[in-house]
Amino acid sequence: MTPTPAPRTADATHGAGGHAAALVAGSRPSARGLQRNPIWRVVRLHAVNPSVFFGVPWIILGGAWAVSMIIGLIGLGATGSTEDMVGMRYSWAVLSPQWYLVVVGVQAIGLTFPFALGFGSTRRDFWLGTALMFVLVSAEMAVATATLVQIEKATHGWGIGMHMFDALWYGQNGWLFDFYSTFAVQLLVLFIGAFATTVYMRWRIPGMMVLTFVAIAIVLALVAIATFTRSWGAVYAWLAGIGLVGLFSVLLGLAAVCAVGGYLVIHRATPR
Amino acid sequence: MTATVARTRGLVKRYGSFTAIDAVDLELTENRIYGLLGRNGAGKTTLMQLLTGQIFPNGGELEVFGRPPAEHADVLRRLCFIAEAQRYPDTFTPAHVLAAAPWYFENWDAAFAERLVADFRLPLKRRIKKLSRGQLSAVGVIVGLASRADLTFFDEPYLGLDAVARHIFYDRLLEDYAEHPRTVVLSTHLIDEVANLLEHVILIDQGRILLDRDAEEVRGSATTIAGAASVVDSFVADRAVIGRDRLGGLASVTIDGRLDRAERVRAAELGLELAPVSLQQLIVHLTGTDLDGAGDAEGKAAA
Repeated sequence: MTPTPAPRTADATHGAGGHAAALVAGSRPSARGLQRNPIWRVVRLHAVNPSVFFGVPWIILGGAWAVSMIIGLIGLGATGSTEDMVGMRYSWAVLSPQWYLVVVGVQAIGLTFPFALGFGSTRRDFWLGTALMFVLVSAEMAVATATLVQIEKATHGWGIGMHMFDALWYGQNGWLFDFYSTFAVQLLVLFIGAFATTVYMRWRIPGMMVLTFVAIAIVLALVAIATFTRSWGAVYAWLAGIGLVGLFSVLLGLAAVCAVGGYLVIHRATPR
Repeated sequence: MTATVARTRGLVKRYGSFTAIDAVDLELTENRIYGLLGRNGAGKTTLMQLLTGQIFPNGGELEVFGRPPAEHADVLRRLCFIAEAQRYPDTFTPAHVLAAAPWYFENWDAAFAERLVADFRLPLKRRIKKLSRGQLSAVGVIVGLASRADLTFFDEPYLGLDAVARHIFYDRLLEDYAEHPRTVVLSTHLIDEVANLLEHVILIDQGRILLDRDAEEVRGSATTIAGAASVVDSFVADRAVIGRDRLGGLASVTIDGRLDRAERVRAAELGLELAPVSLQQLIVHLTGTDLDGAGDAEGKAAA
């Protein structure tokens, strides 16, 4: 997987000379295997304190669930019925860990990246390992969320008609769709945070300003084009055409764009 | 023959209009302890960041183990550099750092690391953010020592360490270096502390190398003559003076170069005292012209 750069002989760059011969080129046999795989060890570095990627999101989700339950119980106490509380479908509690994971995406680059460089990781391996970590975490969150949606439905909203997971777009198109949509959104927020931070690590504040202005300019340009060509109707028709699956595929595509962008930008990024 | 582990030619690093590293030619050979000395902001950390591929040069040549270090995994895995201002993930404790270290350093000695943790009394479960400056330095020192990387950089390892901890550091470094020779680069501005440790001195000031010489040679390269001011003045009249202190009728003058036997005898007859110059004094003379008013020091730097 790792392309080894073509060995450049010292003589080629410095002409003939005793120094070139004296340079210690070369390698010592090293312990191979998964433990020292340059990409997997970045994944392990992210997970060495498991609370960041695995602990805190569950605490947030648990907290949101507890609050939702209390609201549900208040409703139960007030009305005395365990009727389905349809209004709670508009609660965003199910997405609460995602905001936290934006910060995790930022810190993965802002703090873990300089540390990994100090430990001798290459930028390329660091980004690939980080991307792999993001995929694993998104898959884990997606499995959990989609499964909790099913549990909530099966238990009639935890016995009191409460909605937390079976909310928004969830719970209407089956487990697989809930998995796919959570995975796409989760991956997107992680990669947006990480990508924006690689831009910062490479070009600092000027880079962030250019990135922000370019993003705003693109949105304004699209709005202007749609408005002046009177094609909003076509836009809505297209969105309706691709459906929810298509919409989340667009989000997944954006995540992929950020992933590739980060891969390219981090190659010359420097820690402070 | 000793092998070169790192070499630069005309290396340049600029930050905007500020030139942090200015046409530096340098060669590090294997199994040697280097002192990278200089005042704050002289370019020590920048030079180490370049040598470890953390930042990219603007010009010149740079090779570590035969290649530019940046993005070359086979070079980077032989290096260890914990910067003085090293950033750690927010939730990290020293325990996390030490758990991850063996995945990155193939020569990692966990037992040695454990012993150093006890030596430095490093709290393993406290967040890095909450560590004192000395404890933070201890983390870097422990990783640097226990990694046993072929080329290890210590960036201001003394910062915040108490006297006992500093002694532990150089005792352990020398012991381990004797058993596992490697190239060590120690950056510091506390020169007297490390003077006895160093085999080679690289003095950097305003991004330029002022001195790149064997430590013994440097120590013997200057002499201090003390005594009655008038006698001292006549004795050093035709010599290159690199430092001059005066207290009442007494003077202490540091000259470039050593005295031969005849001169020593004559100095003794005149009642003058001769003393070797400490590395720190010499370096203050070479870089601190504005501090002691020895305006002629600059020209001697190249000597």
